[in-house]
Formats: sequence, structure tokens, C-alpha cells
Amino acid sequence: MDALTLTLAGIANGSLYALVALGLVLIYKTQDVVNFAHGEVLMFGAFAGYTAYRIVGLDYMSSFLVAIVFCGLLGAVTERLFFRRLAHHHHITLAMVTVGLSFAFKGLARVPFGADLYTFPPLFPDAQPIQIGQAIVTLQNLITIAVAVALTTMLFVFFRITTLGKQMRATQQNLLGAKFVGINTGRVFSLTWALACAIGGAAGVLLGPSSLLYPDMGGNFLLKGFAAAVLGGFESVPGAIVGALLIGVIEKLVGGYVSTAFEHISAYCVIIIVLFVRPYGLFGVKPIHRV
Amino acid sequence: MPWDTIHLWVRRLFIPILLAIPFFTDRYVQYVLNLIMIYVVVGIGLNFLLGYAGQFAFAHAALMGIGAYACALLMSRLAFPFWIALPMAGVAAMLVGSLVALPAMRMKRVYLALVTLAFAELIQWILIHWKTVTLGTDGVSLPPTQLFGYKLTGDHPMAYVILFVAATLYVLGQRVVTSRFGRALVALRENEIVAQCSGINVTKTKLYVFALSSFYAGIGGGLFALALGFIVPDGFGLFQLVVHFSLVVIGGLISMYGSVIGAVVLTALPELLRDFQWLQEIIYGFTLVIFILFMPDGIAGLGKRKGWLPREILVRNWRDLEQRQRSHASQEGRK
Repeated sequence: MDALTLTLAGIANGSLYALVALGLVLIYKTQDVVNFAHGEVLMFGAFAGYTAYRIVGLDYMSSFLVAIVFCGLLGAVTERLFFRRLAHHHHITLAMVTVGLSFAFKGLARVPFGADLYTFPPLFPDAQPIQIGQAIVTLQNLITIAVAVALTTMLFVFFRITTLGKQMRATQQNLLGAKFVGINTGRVFSLTWALACAIGGAAGVLLGPSSLLYPDMGGNFLLKGFAAAVLGGFESVPGAIVGALLIGVIEKLVGGYVSTAFEHISAYCVIIIVLFVRPYGLFGVKPIHRV
Repeated sequence: MPWDTIHLWVRRLFIPILLAIPFFTDRYVQYVLNLIMIYVVVGIGLNFLLGYAGQFAFAHAALMGIGAYACALLMSRLAFPFWIALPMAGVAAMLVGSLVALPAMRMKRVYLALVTLAFAELIQWILIHWKTVTLGTDGVSLPPTQLFGYKLTGDHPMAYVILFVAATLYVLGQRVVTSRFGRALVALRENEIVAQCSGINVTKTKLYVFALSSFYAGIGGGLFALALGFIVPDGFGLFQLVVHFSLVVIGGLISMYGSVIGAVVLTALPELLRDFQWLQEIIYGFTLVIFILFMPDGIAGLGKRKGWLPREILVRNWRDLEQRQRSHASQEGRK
């Protein structure tokens, strides 16, 4: 396998990880919650898309939207029901709630879908892989990269330009200050969760064709997205994206040149080494605590 | 009857009742009871780390796996007797746990959680892929347990072995949490900087609590292997971890009773729901969430508030202390 081909496949995987990592970072920055249920959000997105596309029979774009809206609502409801009332709790408590939710979600998904594996057909089922110079890339991978780039750009623009985006950033920076200037922080919390989960749902639909659909599918992507976010420092959105691409590429290169058995764990080795050298990630800064 | 008297009688009768139970149970019930005692050990271990010290680590299930595999492999491959293999399982898990703790010394919160999670995944990966030693996904079956030439096969003889180990570790745990070290752990949980200012060596305390908690996980794993007689790597994944989390949270964090109550509640439940994975997951997940929302100090916390359970104070001779304080106060008053 050509190095460039592997790198491109790595970037495609990495952009999926980036979408997961973005969601994690957004939620963490606003509410200090490490969302261990984010993998299940992804899984719900994939299944919502599948249901809309295969069972209801909508077209691809509408199924994509259905998945996004479904996950966004799920995020907002989760925040309103559980995390609003847990504000100012110990971070262990908050993370534990998400661990519980993650399991409950998995169980809920097993009710209609059982233990079977489902396949999500790609957008263009009979498209030939494209050759760019030496590299070969599938159309699905190109679409994934394009959508990921588009979503990320939209997100950056949203945070820079719109009032709501600015309110979200203000809430992240200083909750009390944001309340003082009249921002409805509760609404911001809900919307942040909705946004983060909607991005997760989009990632779920995008990864559908390259992965099988089953209730346990989220765990792996959660761990990779998590690794990406930590690599980038967990508080920095650009850091998370860089981390995700790095992990995607390293994984594919290790899989191609060393052994496929190592592909799965190379991400963990990378983060253990990186965090050993830089305990706050590549782009993170050591927080200063006021005592 | 006042609760104090009940507590006294429970304390007197607890061990005799536990010793007598195996005479009245059938194999299956005894097997579940054995599992409960094993989870008491595991739960105490996690409670040190997550409850008392407030360190959010994810490696407990994997460390339990290390203990189980160490015990199983030493017995099946090197023909060690179980009473050597079991402590060695604890030590093996302790060594690996300390290794996990080394990077964790410098980290907090998310980073600690993630590094331990990565270690847990690595450990499980090694258990699956290092086939020459661990036999991979085929699993390891244990030879019959022997003590001084007597075969201890079956769930009833094993019950006494497990009871002995669990009781010893419970008493040891009680001693640990009421020691200076135990109080240092709680200080660490509440505020690391304040703990540091009070002369607690934060780094050392963290390392020790990781080692201690891993030791308990390892012994628990070893007992688990002995009780089941056959282990596979899958048994020590994320599901196992969530069982541990739910166990200490539902039982009660920062409480020795909590680990026991949690083990009783949460071991019987999956046995009843063995065939319904989805129901198990939903119940585990939502119970965990509901307890955190409405009863964050678990069943033990509720029991202590209502007086059903005796108070747990992190000082050994607190009655003396109270006495001394009272006499001190009265002397102050006389002046």
C-alpha cells in the first residue's frame, strides 16, 4: 500500500474522529462534563440515519438531516433532564452520569435492533475509487472529508459571527460573567449539547458506510475522539482537530507498515506517550488555580 | 430495639452466620454468594481510589483481569498451589497498577481518566493477542484448587477460601481508612492543595492508593478465576468496569459498608437478568444515573443518615477522642 493512500484514508478517519472530538470539547468547555455517552450519540445518529434511509425510504440528504436533528434533540433533552440539575457537582459525579447514560443508551438501542449487524450503503454504491497521482481514494472517503471540513468551517463561522455563537463562547469563558450580561446560560447549555450531539450524529451517518452498524459501535469511536481531544489539550477546538487527524493518520500508517493488530491500539500508545511528556496535551496549557 | 443494640448483635453474629451459610445453600446460590464476596473485595479496592481518594481512574476492571490471569496462568502453567498464586495475583496487579499510576501522578481529571482508559484497553489487547502466554480468546481453565492435598472443588469449599480472604481484606481496609493514610486520602479528594499544605505528600499518597486499590482488584480477580474455573479476556472489559462503578456508587462512596451493600445488590441482579443483555444495560445505566441524581452517597449514606447503619468515622478510637474533647471542654469552662 502506498503511503499517500494510507495517509488519505487516515485523514478520512481522522476527520470523523475530529467531529467526535469537537462534540466532546464543546461540552467539556461549557459544562465541565466529560461525555462518555458521546459514542452512543454517534451510534444513535447512525441508526436514525439507517432507519430513515432504509426503513422509511427517505433520500440520503433527508436521512442525514433526520439523524442530525434526532441527535441534537437527544443532546438538548439529556442536558435539560440530567446535567442542568447537576451543575457545580464534582466532575467525577458528572462523568459518572454520562457513563451510566452510555450504558442505558446502548441497552435502549438493543431493543429494536437486537444483536444483529446492519450495513449502511454508501451514497454512490457503484463509484470507482479515484486515483490521484499515486494515491487511491474512495469516493466515500472524499465525501467524509468534505463534509467534515464543511461542518467545521460552519462551526468556526458560527462561533465568530453569530450572536448565539458569541454567547456560547462567553459562557465557556466565564459563566458568572455571562449571566451578568444577561445571557440565558441555561439555553446556551442546552444548545451547546444539541450542537455537540448533532455533530456526533452527522459523524455517525458519515461513518455508516465504512463501518458496520451495531449497538456497541460507539465505544471505539468515543475512545478515538477522546484520544484526539486529549492530544489537543481538551480545551482547544483547533487542537482537537489536529489531534484527530494525527491519530487517524498514525493509525493507518501503523496498520499499513507494522501490523493490523497494532492499528487499534496505536492511538492509545500515542496518547500515553504524549501525556507522559506533556501532561496537558499538545496545545493545552497548565491551568492556574486560585487557592 | 434501638439500632445500637442491633448493630452490636449483627457484629457478633455476622461471622458465625457467614460460616454457617454454606451448609444450607445449593450450588447455584452458593456460587452467587461467592461472587458477592469477590465483588466486596473488588468494590473496596475501587472505593479507596474513587471514593476516598477521588481519583477518576478506569483501569480497575483491567487490573482485575491481570489478577485473574496471573492466578490462572500460575496455577495451570506452572502448577503453583492457589495459596501462592493468589497473593502473587495481587502483587502482579499491584505492580501494573503502580505502573499506571506513574503517568497519573502528574495528571488530573480528564487526562487521568483517559490515560487509565488507554492502559485498560492496552491490557485487554495484550490479553487477547499475546496468545503464547494467555491463550488469547480461547480462555484459560484452571486446575482443581488444592490445599494440603485436599481438593477444594465445588462452590461450597471455595466459599470458605473466599470468605477468609474477603474478611481479611475487609478488616485490613477498615484499618487503612481509619489510619492517617485514610484521612490523607479524603484530604486529597477534597482539595489537593490544602492536603499539600497540611503536610501530606500528595505524590506518594496517590502512588500508594493506586497500588493498594490495584492489589485489591488483583486479589478479587484471582478469586474470580478460582470461583469460575475458566476465564476469557472479554470478561474484563468496559462492562465489568461499569459494574464496578455502579457497585461503589449505589453502595456508597467513601464507605466500607457501601462496598458490601453494592456488591450484594449488584451481583444478584445480573444473575437474575443473565439472558437479557439489553435489560441489564438499561437497568445498570439508569440506576447509576438515578442514584447519582437523587442519592449521591448511595444506600450506605441513606442508612447512616437514618441510623440503620453505625457511623463511619475515619478515626480509630473516636470514642476516646470524644471523651478527651469533652473533658478538655469542661476544664476550659472551669477556668
